[in-house]
Amino acid sequence: MTLSLLPFETDRLRLRAFERGDVDAVASYHTLPASQRYGVRHVRYPSDVAEAVGIMRTQVALQRPGDVLAMALERKGDGRLIGQVLLQWSDATAGQAEVRFLIHPAFSGQGYLTEALSAVFDLAFTQFRIHRLMVRCDGRSHHSAKLMQKLGLRLEAHYREHALFQGEWDEELHFAILDREWRPNAKIFELSPRNRVA
Amino acid sequence: MALYPAYPLMTSRLFLRPFTRGDVDAVHSYRGRDDVARYLYDAPLSRDECALAVQRRVSQTGFAEEGDRLVLAVETQADATVVGELSLIWRSAEARQGELGWIFHPDHQGRGYATEATSRLLDLAFHDLDLHRVYARCDARNMPSWRLMERLGMRREAHFREHGLFKGGWDEEFYYAILRREWGAMRQSTRHS
Repeated sequence: MTLSLLPFETDRLRLRAFERGDVDAVASYHTLPASQRYGVRHVRYPSDVAEAVGIMRTQVALQRPGDVLAMALERKGDGRLIGQVLLQWSDATAGQAEVRFLIHPAFSGQGYLTEALSAVFDLAFTQFRIHRLMVRCDGRSHHSAKLMQKLGLRLEAHYREHALFQGEWDEELHFAILDREWRPNAKIFELSPRNRVA
Repeated sequence: MALYPAYPLMTSRLFLRPFTRGDVDAVHSYRGRDDVARYLYDAPLSRDECALAVQRRVSQTGFAEEGDRLVLAVETQADATVVGELSLIWRSAEARQGELGWIFHPDHQGRGYATEATSRLLDLAFHDLDLHRVYARCDARNMPSWRLMERLGMRREAHFREHGLFKGGWDEEFYYAILRREWGAMRQSTRHS
């Protein structure tokens, strides 16, 4: 699992490793209240962002359980960094992984995350041989929940008031998908007409 | 909040009390069985292992800080038979969370002892320990366990599929939980003990 896969492309995006110059772009979505509410919880000020980007710059391969692959979502058209997807390999023997994502609200609702996550799921299941992939989100993050269902993930858990977050009771959803549930027909290739038997 | 309950806790037919050294054979009579161990993390316990387990439990009788656990023997009042054990772990002081667990002797199942005993412990959890939410987990194939949780009014909060390996196969797990106000409503509408 020491493959270096970045960058790779989807229709409209380039998924690449983070770079030193990304701090401002990352800060533009990371420090927003919405990201604080639902996203990674301790990146509030530009100085925190610089540190977070510093860490993400080193997360370029999955070599052992616990490792994270951090991908910047860059629009092909104008090269603008609009969000991020992180793939964490959490368990080797049971083939478990977790995906976290964040997008600038100005670019949400345009299918970018669907595109990026589909590509990352493909990568997880085919390149990294993940057996089960999970995503956590806040119970009030309706966009995330809808996106997960659109991608075919099952709602596995709905925790109610299981913790306190910023003085409020927290509600958390877990979505998951198994390798055989993700594009179950993906390994069946259409044969060209001249190779068909009948 | 620290809590050292006065023992025994009573229900109409049962005592819930701390373990004593004299309980080793009683514990071995169910923890030594394959059918009891199937869905537990431990393999069936030998008598020596039961003796160690009982020794540990002798002091697990109260809560001083987060992470502490209570493990109690469930004994019939009529003939002083140990029919199983209950545990309550104080998982979070800030969010007032606890985890409930139980193991009952198959020979004594079907008489409502488990429901009666766990109800008493939920009363303690919400009333005396002032918890906000109590959860419990079980293997999805362990129907008696999750049926008990449903009788107690717990909601199925999670159904994890193949999220880990357990005893040589893929694990499938249920999480059930109940909030303090839900238990209060449950208590008003039914009488368990």
